[in-house]
Amino acid sequence: MSVETWGRISTDAFNVAFFAYLAGMLGAFHHLAFRKRPVWSASIVLITVGAGAHLASLVARGIAAERIPLGNMYEYSLALSFLVVVAYLVVVEGMAKVNTLGGFVLAFATVTMAVAALFLHVGPAPLVPALNSYWRQIHVSSMIVSSSLLALGSVVTILYLVKDRRERTQAPPPIAGGSTDLRTEEGAPHDLVPGDEPAPAASRRARGWLPAATALDRLAYRLLAFGFPLWTFGLITGAIWAQEAWGRYWGWDPKETWSFITWVVFAGYLHARATSGWRGRRAAVIALIGFASLLVTYYAVNLWIVGLHSYAGVP
Amino acid sequence: MAASSLTLRSSTALAWRTLRSMRTALVLLLLVALAAVAGSLVPQVGVAEARIAAMFRDHPLRARIYDQLGLFDVYGSWWFTLLYVLLLVSLGACLLPRTRALLRNLRTKPPPARELEGMRHFAEVAIASDPDRAIVDARRVLRRHLFRVNGANGRPSLAADKGLAREAGSLLFHWSFFLLLVGIVWGKGTGFSGTAVVVEGQRWVEAHANFDGTVREGRFFGEDHSGIQLQVEEFRATYRPTGQPEDFVTVAKLHEADGSFVRDVEIRVNEPAKIDGVRFYQFGYGWAPVVEVERDGEPIASGPIVCTQRTPPEGVSRLQVPWDCVLKLPSLRPQVGLAFVLWPDSRALYSLLETGAAMPMLTSFAPVMTYTAYEGDLGLVVPQRSTVLDTSAMREVGRGAIGAGETLDLGDGVSMRFTDLREYTVLQVSRDRGLWIVLAAAILVLVGLLPALYTSRRKLWITAEADAGGTVLKVGGFALQRRSQFEEEFSRLVAELRRSSSGGVSV
Repeated sequence: MSVETWGRISTDAFNVAFFAYLAGMLGAFHHLAFRKRPVWSASIVLITVGAGAHLASLVARGIAAERIPLGNMYEYSLALSFLVVVAYLVVVEGMAKVNTLGGFVLAFATVTMAVAALFLHVGPAPLVPALNSYWRQIHVSSMIVSSSLLALGSVVTILYLVKDRRERTQAPPPIAGGSTDLRTEEGAPHDLVPGDEPAPAASRRARGWLPAATALDRLAYRLLAFGFPLWTFGLITGAIWAQEAWGRYWGWDPKETWSFITWVVFAGYLHARATSGWRGRRAAVIALIGFASLLVTYYAVNLWIVGLHSYAGVP
Repeated sequence: MAASSLTLRSSTALAWRTLRSMRTALVLLLLVALAAVAGSLVPQVGVAEARIAAMFRDHPLRARIYDQLGLFDVYGSWWFTLLYVLLLVSLGACLLPRTRALLRNLRTKPPPARELEGMRHFAEVAIASDPDRAIVDARRVLRRHLFRVNGANGRPSLAADKGLAREAGSLLFHWSFFLLLVGIVWGKGTGFSGTAVVVEGQRWVEAHANFDGTVREGRFFGEDHSGIQLQVEEFRATYRPTGQPEDFVTVAKLHEADGSFVRDVEIRVNEPAKIDGVRFYQFGYGWAPVVEVERDGEPIASGPIVCTQRTPPEGVSRLQVPWDCVLKLPSLRPQVGLAFVLWPDSRALYSLLETGAAMPMLTSFAPVMTYTAYEGDLGLVVPQRSTVLDTSAMREVGRGAIGAGETLDLGDGVSMRFTDLREYTVLQVSRDRGLWIVLAAAILVLVGLLPALYTSRRKLWITAEADAGGTVLKVGGFALQRRSQFEEEFSRLVAELRRSSSGGVSV
């Protein structure tokens, strides 16, 4: 098949994945609100199908461009959103058995894909010489994988903050720090007439739509603590590549600078987690600053700040 | 006198205590990151000179304030250096006591426990063997799980712990980060870097005066330039049919400082040439027309002129833009200056003139230069770049075009011949002796990070008491990190203790 055909297949598969994710996201939010198990099953099927199409889109793109499809911002976004979804399915649904966060994760993935399709799209093409190094493959893949883990961890952190706030405002904290999921009546909405039997939906709402704050906090920490060493690895391989390509391993190029800033902020998060008095909300806020910095590293540097990395595909 | 020396001593102690805290080191690291934010938003010297100049023109007051604060050269400013040094000192000061504590911890055995029942995890196991035997079995189980085990004297009991790798890894991570920072300073401080512009056929010698523009030399650099020589034979740029660059190669010969030939090299993007720690990187290229100027048949100037290119406007490829070259003839009276616009592929010029369509110039094809000639004072009393013509004290005397192989008559018996068009290569030349330190430190950072994040410190105690023909093992313990995982590990260990001891009964 010709290069054009593969390019078209990649675009079609992208569309399939995008709409499957959108449908899956609606299903996941529906499940979050009404806890209908069939809806959850359907949304998992949709997300899995979407991920399959997503992978097909990446592979077809690689065939069309005759290289590994990690050469420009469009392809990074494609890979990033794919890995966020896969990491969600494997880590959050599979390993942590948390099945209420899918909507938020898919919202992030679909926004990333939409931005990629609308603003970052370039046709498949071979690379300019400076990008043609095997260190690039290692650097870019580790950066994409760690970005997806850090982004997923940050989404969970936001949910943790939401849940934590709700737990604080609705009831006094349990003395022994037991599972907050067990509380039902005490957190019921105030508009219920006293003595009324709480409706099933209401008690569900009282329990909260989300897993317990402590569980979210732990999940977020695991994702971020997994993403951080990978980010470190990506920084190091990027420096090695820069040494080979430009003759210096570190030149305070905007992309380098911002990835360093992101590294520092997440390092601060890990230190905060290990310091008493900084765990929980304060650490979560630091993680969110890190997330903002990650987004600047990923988007703003390429789109607005001029530097050596700006040739990564956006004209 | 005594009082003042006391306050001095106490304030030094206070400063030292502050520097030793982890929070200070973190705040300093955060300040370095903030400085980096500033450095990425404000145009920097050597990266975006044009934007700095524009700022001085459009917002002179703001630009002056920025300049005073060192914001145009964040990473070279005194306050960034100060931050960096403080970070190093604080990091070291923070790590020393922790390292001492870890070494002490490694030497001492885990201490015996008092109240096992009150621990977060506690279990009782009833087994058939006698207490001494049970302790021996328990010790073997714990050993198999890589616990450090200490048998307390007197009572049949054990104290065990595991996971010193967490602190050791954390320290390795932080010390390696320290080493990384030192390696960067040392490598940059003793090294140099700059750009070399070499026309095909020319030989370039690595020495301070031969760099194009400024050469960055480290603070501890002792002017020990290598004198390495690079003879550039050819520069080749290849493009795909779409006009996208495919490969840039500088074909050259390397010579030692004494001129002895070392080897042939091909310098590509991502494939530098290395010799004696000096590295040559492919950085850019351009066109250099070769001209010969004669007066009354006597040559007065000859050689290649290095042309530069203006930044193309939005949406225009660099390949479509012609090149600007300058020829200065200061020996003539009045002085003569020529500003050329070079079209390496003349078809692009004709296409632009006839249809208005810009065409990429991939190779040289019947090159042509349009020129504007000036007469007057070149203004060479002040230093100026060879690629810029200062026409403020000159007047235009003629315009025209000249093709390769043609001769231009400049009047008064002066003529200029455009003999040949060559390419020049731009190489980044640098030496950084700290490279290996930085690389090793970076790898160690990663090696230390993994146990620091993924292992946990666990403590466990076991006592054995005789009970109705058998033994009751009391097991207590806790984990300092990853507590939920320890819950599983603890129950697995208890189950294994039960099994291993019952196996011992039959003996």
